Parts: sequence; C-alpha cells; structure tokens
Amino acid sequence: MAGKARSGCEALKVVARCRPMSRKEEAAGYERVLELDVKLGQVSIRNPRASPGELPKTFTFDAVYDASSKQADLYDETVRPLIDSVLQGFNGTIFAYGQTGTGKTYTMQGAWAEPEKRGIIPISFEHIFTHISRSQNQQYLVRASYLEIYQEEIRDLLAKDQSKKLELKENPETGVYIKDLSSFVTKNVKEIEHVMNLGSQTRSVGSTNMNEHSSRSHAIFLITIECSETGPDGEEHIRVGKLNLVDLAGSERQSKMGAHGERPKEASKINLSLSALGNVISALVDGKSTHIPYRDSKLTRLLQDSLGGNAKTIMVATLGPASHSYDESLSTLRFANRAKNIKNKPRVNEDPKDTLLREFQEEIIRLKAQLEKRGMLGKKRRRSSRRKKAVDGESAMENEGEDDNEDGLEKNMENYLKEQKERLEEEKAAIQDDHSLVSEEKQKLLQEKEKMIEDLRKEQEATELLATKYKAMESKLLIGGRTIVDHTNEQQKMLELKRQEIAEQKRREREMQQEMLLRDEETMELRETYTSLQQEVEIKTKKLKKLYAKLQAVKAEIQDQHDEYIRVRQDLEEAQNEQTRELKLKYLIIENFIPAEEKNKIMNRLYFDGEEDQWKFQPLVPTGGNSNQMKKRPTSAVGYKRPISQYARVAMAMGSHPRYR
Amino acid sequence: AAAAGGGWAEVCEKFRTARTLSAVESRKDPETEPYRSKYSARALLQEVKQLLSAAEEGGEARLVAVRRAVLEYELGVNHTDTEELSAGEEHLQRCTQLLEPHRFSPDCVSLYIQAQNNLGILWSERDEIKTAQTYLESAEALYNQYMKEDGNPPLDPSEHFMAEEEKLTDQERSKRFEKAYTHTLYYLAQVYQHLEMIEKAAQYCHTTLKRQLEYCGYYPVEWALNAATLSQYYLSKQCFMESRHCLAAASVIFSQAGQVPSAEDNETEQDQQDLRQRKAEIARCWIKYCLNLLQSARKLLEDNIGELDPDRQLELKAQRKKEEEEKEKGRKKAVLFGTSDICDSVLAMEEKVSSVYPLDFQEAREIFLVGQNYVQEAKEFFQVDGYVTDHIEIVQDHSALFKVLAFFEEDYERRCKMHKRRIDMLEPLYADLNPQYYLLISRQLQFELADTYYEMMDLKVAIGNRLEELDSHTIKKINSLAQLAIKYYELFLDSLRNPDKVFPEKLEEDVLRPALVAKFHIARLYGKLITSDSKKQLENMQTSLEYYTFLVDYCEKYPDAVRAVETELELSKEMVGLLPTRMERLRAKLCPFI
Repeated sequence: MAGKARSGCEALKVVARCRPMSRKEEAAGYERVLELDVKLGQVSIRNPRASPGELPKTFTFDAVYDASSKQADLYDETVRPLIDSVLQGFNGTIFAYGQTGTGKTYTMQGAWAEPEKRGIIPISFEHIFTHISRSQNQQYLVRASYLEIYQEEIRDLLAKDQSKKLELKENPETGVYIKDLSSFVTKNVKEIEHVMNLGSQTRSVGSTNMNEHSSRSHAIFLITIECSETGPDGEEHIRVGKLNLVDLAGSERQSKMGAHGERPKEASKINLSLSALGNVISALVDGKSTHIPYRDSKLTRLLQDSLGGNAKTIMVATLGPASHSYDESLSTLRFANRAKNIKNKPRVNEDPKDTLLREFQEEIIRLKAQLEKRGMLGKKRRRSSRRKKAVDGESAMENEGEDDNEDGLEKNMENYLKEQKERLEEEKAAIQDDHSLVSEEKQKLLQEKEKMIEDLRKEQEATELLATKYKAMESKLLIGGRTIVDHTNEQQKMLELKRQEIAEQKRREREMQQEMLLRDEETMELRETYTSLQQEVEIKTKKLKKLYAKLQAVKAEIQDQHDEYIRVRQDLEEAQNEQTRELKLKYLIIENFIPAEEKNKIMNRLYFDGEEDQWKFQPLVPTGGNSNQMKKRPTSAVGYKRPISQYARVAMAMGSHPRYR
Repeated sequence: AAAAGGGWAEVCEKFRTARTLSAVESRKDPETEPYRSKYSARALLQEVKQLLSAAEEGGEARLVAVRRAVLEYELGVNHTDTEELSAGEEHLQRCTQLLEPHRFSPDCVSLYIQAQNNLGILWSERDEIKTAQTYLESAEALYNQYMKEDGNPPLDPSEHFMAEEEKLTDQERSKRFEKAYTHTLYYLAQVYQHLEMIEKAAQYCHTTLKRQLEYCGYYPVEWALNAATLSQYYLSKQCFMESRHCLAAASVIFSQAGQVPSAEDNETEQDQQDLRQRKAEIARCWIKYCLNLLQSARKLLEDNIGELDPDRQLELKAQRKKEEEEKEKGRKKAVLFGTSDICDSVLAMEEKVSSVYPLDFQEAREIFLVGQNYVQEAKEFFQVDGYVTDHIEIVQDHSALFKVLAFFEEDYERRCKMHKRRIDMLEPLYADLNPQYYLLISRQLQFELADTYYEMMDLKVAIGNRLEELDSHTIKKINSLAQLAIKYYELFLDSLRNPDKVFPEKLEEDVLRPALVAKFHIARLYGKLITSDSKKQLENMQTSLEYYTFLVDYCEKYPDAVRAVETELELSKEMVGLLPTRMERLRAKLCPFI
C-alpha cells in the first residue's frame, strides 16, 4: 500500500462481488451466466442468448468475490488497508455499485445482528475504534454525518428538520463542503452505530415509498477522523482522514439520473414533458467557451475528490449470477471496467487549518484558563472583602495556597464558597442581633448581604457550568487506552506479542541455519588438507584417472561432430549440383521456347513476398482500376450481401428487426 | 330518443371518468400497482366503445367514425402508457385510418395531430427515430396546411364526448390546439437532436420557446434560463445576432418574473436564493457573449503574429457598410420572440450591445464595458466564499475580456496597464486557493498569470526599443516582470511533480502542451533577462539552453509530442544550435587571453 502511494498515482481499486442464486431464481430454472475465477481475479459472463460457439466476455478486476465469500474476506483483503490509510490521514471512499437486488446494501451494511454477516460499515466502525484504543500518545476525534441525494437534492438524515434542502458550497481552503450538514462526535462503536441507525430510520420514514426511494437515492455516510500527534519536532501535527461510504442508487436508475457526469444512456427516447426542454437545449451546446447553467450533478461534485482526486477509492461492483439479469450485469461490469482507468493521487491531509480537533483543543485550553481566572477572581474578591471586614473590625480567617490543579481548584472553590456563605449568614445574624443599629440601616445592610449571597451563587453556577463544559469537551477527545475501555485489549496485546515472538524465533532459526551452512563449508575445507604424502598421491591419481576418462570422452565427441559435419557438407554439395542442373534446364527452356518480350514482361511483374517467402506475380491490372473493370453486382443486391426479395427489403427498411417487439 | 339521450349522457360520463382516472388518479397509484388507474380507465373506455357500437345503427356515419377515432386514440395512448406498445400502435393506427378522409376538417385536425404525436413517441420508444420523425413531420405539415386553408380554432378531441352546453370557447380551443402543435415541435426538436441534426434541433427548440412565449405556457424563470442556454448554442455557431436576441429576451422575461411578486408572500429564502442564482447564470451567459464576440473579431483582425492588421480592418469596415442591415433584417424576422410589448423591451435591451464584430478600439470598448457590468452582476452572487469554482471562472472571463480588449488598444503603455489589471484580479485569487482541492484551477491560474507577466514583459521590451537608450528603470521593470513570469511558469511545472517532487518522465496528454510551452517560455525569458554582468549573462544563457534542450530531447524521446508544439520545437532546435556558439563567443570575450 505504502509503495503504491509513493508512486503518486493510484488507480481506483475495483472489486466485483457476486451473490448466490436466489431460491426464486433456482425455482424458475434460470441458468448461471457468471463464472468467477477468484485466484486470477476474473469474471466471465456468458450471453444466454448467444450461439454455443460464442466466447464468454471476461473482465479482470483487482479482486473477485464469489458467492461463497464471507463479509470478513472482502473486508480484510480489500477494505482494511483503505481504512488504515484513512486513519493515517488519507481520504478514502468506498462505493457499492450494481443493479438493485444484487447485494449492495448487504455488502455495505449487512445484517447487524449476526457478527458473521456484518457489512463493511459496521466492521469499519469496529476497526476504527479498535485502532484508536490501541494507539498511544495520540488524540482522536471521530465525527459522523449521514446524508442522501435524491433527485439532485441533498437531505441531512441526521437533522431534525427533514424538509430543508442543503446546499453544496465551496471554500478556497478546504474545497467542496455541504453547508449546515450536521455531524455528531462519536466516542465509541455504540454511538456511531446509533448515528447510523438514526439516519437509516429517517431515510425510510422520510419517504412514502421506501423501496422506490432507496433505489433512486444515493446515501453517503461520512466519517471524519482527526488525529493529533506530537511529532519529533515537538510540534503538534493534526491529520484529518475522511471516509465516504457510499451506497449508490441502483445502477438501472443510474443512467437516468446522469450520475458520474455521463449523458443518459437511453437518450433515444423522447422526453414528454416540456419542463425537460432545458435538457434538450443544453445537449446541443458544447462546453467550450460557453456557459451552461445547471448542469453538473451533485453526487459528482461531492465525490470529485474520490473520482480522479486525492482520495483512495474502492468500488465494489455487485452482480447477480442469473441469466435474466445478463444485460444489467454486463453493463455493471463494463462500468466497473471503465472505472479502473480512473487515477487518484492520494495525499495525507496534514495540518489543515480548520480541524475541529484543534478547535476543541483550543476551546479546552480557553476553558481551563477561564476556570483558573475565576478561581483567582474569587480569591481577589475574597481578599477585598477581607479588607473590608478588617475595617469592620472583624477577624479574618482562612488562607490557602494557590493551586493550579483543577481538582484542587474545585475543592478550593467549594471550601471557599461554603465559608463565604457561612460567614455571610453569621454576619446577617449579627446584624439582626445588633439592636443598636437603626432599623433602616439594618434593612439596608441585610439587603446588601442578601445580594452578596446571590452573587456568590451565580458565580458558583457559572463555575460549575464551565467545569461541565470543560469535561464534556475533553471527553469528546479520544485517547487510546484511556478513554475507550477496550476489553479485548489485553488479550489482543498478548496475542500480538506472541506473534512478534514467533517472528523473532523464525528469524533466529534462519540465522542459525545460515551459520550451519557456513560451518559445513569450513569442515569441507578442513578435510581437504592431507595427512600425508602417500594419501595425497593416492587421491591425486584417482583424480587424474577420472579426468583422463573425461578427456577421452570429449575427444570422441569432437570426432563424431567432425564426421557429421562432413556428411552434411557432402549432402549440401549434392543438392547444389542438382539445383544448378535444374536451373540450367529451365534457362534452356526459357531461351528456346519463350520469346524475349514475354520474358521481360513476366520478369517485370515478378516480386518477392518476404512474408510468404516466395516469388509472386503482380496482378495484371493495377488494383486502383479494379472496380470499374469488374462486372457490376446485380441491381437487386445493392448494399446487401446477397440478392433479397422486395418483401424482405421493405421489412428491413421498416426497422432492423422486421418483427415487432 | 330520451333513452338514447340518457345513454349518451352515460357515455359522456364514463368517458370523462376514464380521462380523469388516467390523468389525475394515476399519479397516486402505489408502486406495486403502477398502472391501476390506467387499467380501470381502459376498462371504462372499452365499455364506452361497446355502448357506442350498440348505438351505432342509424347514426350518421361520419359522426360515428369520429367518435370511434377519439376512443381509439384514448385507448392507444392508454396502451402506450402501460408499455403495451404494439397494442397502442394498433389503436392509434386505427384512429388515423378512421380520420384520414376528414383530417382537414375542424373537428378532426387536432385529434389527428395528437394521434400522430403519440405515434411519434411510440416509435421513438422503439428506438426507431426515423419512423418517429416521419409521423411528427407529417403532423407539422398538417398543422401548417390547416392553418393556411382554414385557420379557425378546431375542436378539442374531448369535446366529442361533451354535451352541447359544455363545449369550449374558441379561445380555449385555439389554446389547446396550439399546445398540441407546440408539443409536436418540441418532440421534433428531440428527434433531430437524436439524429444529430443539431442545427435543426436548435431551430425547433427556438420555435418551441417562441411558441411558449406566445401562448403564455411558460414559467418565466425557467424560460429565461432556457433562452440563455440556447444563446450559448448560437454562440458556438458564431450567430451573434441570434445569441443576443435570446439573451435579451431572457433578461426581459426574467425581470418580469422578478416584478411579479409571486402570489404567495411566503416565498422562502431558498427561492430567493435560487432566483438570484439564476440571474447570475444569465449574466454569465452575457459575459460569454461579449467575450466570444470580441474574440471572434480578434481572430478576424489579427495578422500572423497576433497583432492588429490595419489593412484587414479597413477592408472589413468597407464590407460592413455595404451589407449593413439588409441581411440582418431577413435573419431577424425568423427568430424574433414574443408579442409586441415584450418585443419592444427586448429590442431596447438589444440596443445596449452590438452584435456585429467590433472593428476598432471604441467599438470593442463598448462591448467590453457591457461584459464587465455583467461580470460585476455575476460576481454578486457567485462570491468566492461558497462558489469558488464559479467565481474563479467569472474572474477568468473578466481577465480574458481585458486580454482581448488589450488587443484593440494601440498604445503600449495602456495595454500594459490592462494586463496589470488582469494580474491584480488573478493574483489574490491564486494566493487563497488550496491547490490540494483545486489543482486544476490553480494550474490554470498559474499559467495565465505567467502568460500575462510574459506579455507585459514583451510590451515593456517593445516600449524600450522605441527609446533611444534603455534607462535603468525600464531594465529593472523588464527584469522583474521576466522573473515573475518565470516564477509562475515554474510553479506550474512544479504542480506537475508527484508527491515525491519528481518531474514525470512522460507528461499526461492534457498537460503536455502547457508544460512544454511553459518550458519554452522560460527558456525565452532567461534569454531576455538583461544584465551587464557577462558572467551572469552566460549563466542565464546556460539555463535557457537547458530548457530548450529539454524540449528538443523530450520531443525526440516521445515523437507524439511533436504535434502539440511544432513551432516551438522548430525555434528550440534553432536555439539549441545557436546558443552554444554565442556562449562560446561570450566566454572568449570574458577571458580574452585563453
């Protein structure tokens, strides 16, 4: 994956998936027209109406999943690397494309209840949060949005007011965005699943006709993952990865809605409503140097990054195996095949300026500062009141060290507030007791005290509010190991540790084997040092004998070769003689029987055809003049392969297929 | 007779129910039974048909035939709607057969045209556009002939099953008849479009628009937008008079839409937004009009080095005087929109901008100013925050307007100032843009900025050449402009590099020419840099040579590229041959002792 990314360009990854035959299809006796070769990544489709000799059409994709494939296979092999790179800060998009009823939604969502059958979306949730929980020294913020595009209108599936249409806007810094799209910060799998379900519910409730609607609308689930990490340079780096999970409308509707910027396929049909006049006119205008109002599709604009932009993209083409969906399956395969050519240039989104994570961090710092200030403020006021009290002649009491710690601060505050309150109450009582004061003045003092108590309460409330806000903010930031309680964590970690150990052991084994080989060679060399002269002579003689035998064999071989060569040469000489004789005879014949003029003519027409390795005659007449010299075809057959009857011709003129459909 | 009368009333009632069923009720049909109402309508129509054939005896043959034709028509449409094309065709054919002898009479002509319309649609659904075309064309011909010979408002088909007192007024009849014909034209427009007879298609679209206006069957905003789009078609065909007319009509009709405070006051903010957007869209169409007009004029007037050719100018002026008016008027009649009051305001609108090629600076300036006004109008809505792409496109058009205006300007200093204006509008835009999301646009901007600086430098050099001697100020100016041009060309070339900052071995098709041209221009710019320091000059020449060599080498390596940069390549080859000797000479001058 990394290697591919380094090369800059990355083609859209296209995988095909085929669902099993449904019971209904089996009962109806439809044949299977799809063959999948999982190893080679090929799909071949056979035309059920074609003659038996016709070859099936074959398409090759990055991966192919047949009816027996599991959701987890698809995820692990294809999707997991993409989600990993989203976590690293790339943009990623997964499309499901295909005819209605071929398992788009099964692939994307699957059955939630059964872990085996969970689709890409729930598994990716799991994946994302597991990754976060295992990360160290990184802060994460995960947001989710859910929207749908229906008849060129964008609806926010998570908003309370469903009637509101959203607008697609652009920002010079951050590109295309949807104005006022609500997004929810999620802290764990459960929350994000909740968001998903909420949106799905609105989607089905919001429309009167669920099936019709869902097969015509595109649903997009957006997950934004922001990650902040302190880099080696000591500065904080924020990376933002965006994951688009797109459930496209059924492909049979696709052409009608003109998604992907393509012109509608069934263009030969006449549009009945005059309101489509605009489409007719804009089809006449070519785009260069002119302006055509309202032409681009929302889906295309929204996903322009994914299609030829800077994202990594996977397209899952879903197929039905039965013969009755042949045409649709073929068009899906063709579309998928075209999509392979789209090239993306993925880039890490590092340090974008407007990340929510940064905002959150800043907000937290600000709140912290505010809290501290409030603490200080309280103290100051306390001091001033103390001064006042000193003037009153009453004794001052407490004194505390300043504490930056937030907990201490809160305790501080509490203590302080309590004391203040008590003191105020005391004073109030004292005033009431003090009969010497004039009643009016007494009243005034009492009121003052009351007000002070009131103020105090307000201050307390504000502080509490700030504290809760601070806590809420902080809780939204996810930090691996701390915020998410990951039950499997320990075991998983153990497992990984074990795996590492195994790898380590394998490596050591390999090392040891290499060492052993080395030792073996050494021993060999050692053995070759001789113990005595006698032994040396013996061995050398043996060697000599062996080599001599070899020499003799080679000599014999050479002799054989020489003989062979001579024989061949003689053969060739004979052949040459034979041919020379033949040639002389031919020359003789030509000279004696063919007039010189004719001979020249023939010589001029001769040419050597290198491809077929033989001499050929040029045609008697130049090819250009061929047509007017040829006899005309009978008039009854003009333009046809063979003469045909008047009736048949009329039938053909009426249409390619004389019988009505 | 009373029984017969009662029977007739029943027939009429059934017919009416059937029509409402298929027109109104069918929209509420559930997805599972999409054609429920249509089927029940069909059953009713069959009943009516039976009742009718029972009462047939003794009736007047012609009347009976016409009534049966109406039923056949309704049944035919019903079958077509329910995707039973062959059955539908049968019914419709029977209808036309029944009507054939009477098709010019007022009670049949409308029905006949509608039947043919539907046959046209039916055949288009079978992908047999040619057959559809014959039906629709024959409908068109029938309308024309009828209007020529008779011209009285004909009966609406539904009237055949109405009591005497319910019959429609002449006005209503005429309206329905014209509407049927408008549909014929609209379908023909589509047929021609599918047959790729684009000109004819446009003509029919135009007529459809015109008729919508005449018979008030339009939504002003939508109509205006369509007219504006059509103007763009005329632009691409260089028919500026027609294009201007469409745009003027679009503006006029649109302003009407704005005036009528659409009945309900609860117009949401969103609708207002939409309205403003469409107004801006029309303004953009106007911008394109002005721009295209100026650019075409420029093409006519420029000589082979892209300067204004005075001979051509005089020639064209003489020619224009001769043919002025005559031809225009003939063409004008054919396309004129609307009734007299609308027409007047449209003409007044047209007065504001010319539709003939501007031939001198004054004329060009007037068109430019109109264009510039529309630029401001369009920018009001398409602000950079929220509509980045659109906003930049508008600014690019604005810049292009300046560019083409500069062509007409003779004074170099003023021309230079115009280019400066282009720089001033493009540079801040470029600075704000994040190339990660707007790679294509920022490349366009880089290139345009570089080109503009390049042109400015050329102008400054030309101005300098006129002077006796180059003063230091001019030299400084020239050098800084050249440096800026180089900077933007280099930025453009850098944007082609992959994430690892490596320049691609082989350039993609779409950036091939720009990239090579950028290389060529950089080479030329280094050659133009003025310096008194010979060493520096030698260095510049060396860099220049490197860029020229790149171009030559690239074209050698990929011969496909030659086509894109033929003239540039030729010059580069020459330079690669010349520069080394010049450098040698310079070097010799530098160190005369070696």
